[in-house]
Amino acid sequence: MLIDHPGSGSGTDTIAGALAADRLGAPSVVYFVLSAAAPLTVVAGVVTTAYAVTGITGLPIAFLVVGAVLALFSVGYVAMARHIANAGAFYAYVTNGLGRPAGVGAAWIALIAYNALQVGLYGALGATAAPLIVQWAGVEIPWWLIALAAWLLVAALGVMRVDVNGRLLAVLLTAEVAVILLFDVADLLNPAAAGAASALSPAALFAPGVGALLVIATTGFVGFESSVVFSEESRDPRRTVPIATYASVAIIAVLYALSSWAMTVATGPEGIVAAARRDGPETIFVLATAHLGDTVVTIARVLFLTSLIAAMISFHNTTARYFFALGRERVLPAAFGRTGRRTGAPKIGSLAQSTLGLIAIVVYAMAGLDPLVHLFFYTGTFGGFGVLLLIAATSVSVVAFFARNPTGESVWRRVAAPVLATAALVTMVSLALANFATLLGAEEDSPLRWALPAIYVVAAALGVAWALVLRATQPGVYARIGMGAKAVTGGAP
Amino acid sequence: MLADDFFLIAWDTTRSGRARLNQQATALGLAGALIGELVLQNRLAVRGPQLRPTARHQAADLLSDRVLAEIRNAPQHTDVRTWLAYLAKDAITSVAERLIRAGLVEHEPPKLLRRRYSRYYSRDFGKATWPSIRLQTALVKGRQMTPADMAMAALVDACGLLDAVVPDPAERPTARRYLAAVLAAMPPPLTDLTRHVQAAVGDAVLAYRT
Repeated sequence: MLIDHPGSGSGTDTIAGALAADRLGAPSVVYFVLSAAAPLTVVAGVVTTAYAVTGITGLPIAFLVVGAVLALFSVGYVAMARHIANAGAFYAYVTNGLGRPAGVGAAWIALIAYNALQVGLYGALGATAAPLIVQWAGVEIPWWLIALAAWLLVAALGVMRVDVNGRLLAVLLTAEVAVILLFDVADLLNPAAAGAASALSPAALFAPGVGALLVIATTGFVGFESSVVFSEESRDPRRTVPIATYASVAIIAVLYALSSWAMTVATGPEGIVAAARRDGPETIFVLATAHLGDTVVTIARVLFLTSLIAAMISFHNTTARYFFALGRERVLPAAFGRTGRRTGAPKIGSLAQSTLGLIAIVVYAMAGLDPLVHLFFYTGTFGGFGVLLLIAATSVSVVAFFARNPTGESVWRRVAAPVLATAALVTMVSLALANFATLLGAEEDSPLRWALPAIYVVAAALGVAWALVLRATQPGVYARIGMGAKAVTGGAP
Repeated sequence: MLADDFFLIAWDTTRSGRARLNQQATALGLAGALIGELVLQNRLAVRGPQLRPTARHQAADLLSDRVLAEIRNAPQHTDVRTWLAYLAKDAITSVAERLIRAGLVEHEPPKLLRRRYSRYYSRDFGKATWPSIRLQTALVKGRQMTPADMAMAALVDACGLLDAVVPDPAERPTARRYLAAVLAAMPPPLTDLTRHVQAAVGDAVLAYRT
């Protein structure tokens, strides 16, 4: 905004200078995006569980393919971000591209998906911390007790508006990536057998169940979309945000593809599924112990726990803010749009998210379900599928938006890239639906394979219905949907 | 002065010396109040998302003269949001200094390692509590309000401070209903200004990071 003024920036503009002092460059934005993505959580938790549950080994190539599709999607995404308010929330794109009813439907899908992603992490923490506590303290604590302790911490920090400090997150992220790369090197230097490259062969993409892999890979990328949130705070939004977005997508794709491939090299492509089924999230630590020794592995285990906790807090806050944004636009009751007076925390949103987390932990504990597979992996990939739906809907919206407003962007940015991305994303969604049973590791006739995707359909339908009710009864509220801050200022141009 | 009144409402100067409201919202509210003072003096015009100095030259007080001089010296910046963000950077200290100069409050600097923020204590109980009491009475009893008090009520509401002004939950519905009527009757420049403050406070919630 400030940077666009031709007269400014000559060194004499004290206003722009003072405001730019704490603005972000591309590396800072990448750090914010990646630290919320919690790489060790994905590599140690998601990847190993994915091998165990699906029993297929094409994951490394799936990360590369999804990375390529998301990079293509980002072309139109960051271009459209420059033209709308409230960029960073997928529903704002859908509202501007496909209309307000579709936007509210997308908003409700997003609420479910982000909540599912956060809640799943409690299962992963409980399941990974419990054996460590046995090992270190000799006490056996049920997973749900650990999950409840973490829940209490997250819930308290949420209403107190304590976010994990950015510098601490950056240190943790750097350490996580260092450990992951170290493990990868150790795995690659100690291959189990020949033929290790097979998991990287594009042929893996034509194996049955590929849709499941694509959803799992998408789950690993969740958070890349938040780069545009920083456009107001970045030094030069036109450059910083696109660079940060592409860099985040590329880093995630390469890091996860490399790590998931390295595991298959260490165990042999045939051995990874058996190893992951036997060792669960311990897999990468078991593999590493043989080559790197106990100290490094212990540090890595602690980092895995801190990674999970940081991801929990980060997803909690993101979700609470999502509730807040929707409350501010009155898509949800106005109470969600209020904040704690002293803390400025999106209090009701935070409490709502915490309530859902508590319900999930209690229900899973009472039903005796597995915290890792049923809570972490099922709800996590369910959330990932929701995000995939949102990305696809957003991509369609980008095409629709630029068809109506064909100014200010090149043909590649507003037509070619968005259309190609949409085609790829729609294909991904249909493959995901076809392979949903594989995603859950369930039988083909499992009722869950239709019931879980149906939740999103119902949520979207209810969202559309709610928007139509608003249009009929509160046209003033309806008119402001998707306008973000401008919802308050009355849409002044 | 509008910003002084807002400070005395947002700050518990008579007891704890601490803020009643979070730092970001306080700073943005005060920034809005500083702009509001100039609007009330007809030295600044706000229309939609833009602000412009008027032809009127008249010295008022040190702080608002300084704010106006800064706005005049940077004519390329006309966005209300830009000025809110800029003024918010030291609105708390500068308004507090004005109150200290006027002999209304005393400053207690943060103690090293023990407290993060400064505390401000009032030197005159009656004057320190008057803005809050005046606003509460006006809203609960539905009294006629001056444009300055309307702006104050709107800013207090925009920053989420209304519940602190009307502590009795039973009186809040009445106060909110009357406030809605007040907001509808407020001069458009002040309406535009307070809406931008509200939007900025909301955006600060969404972009919060440490």
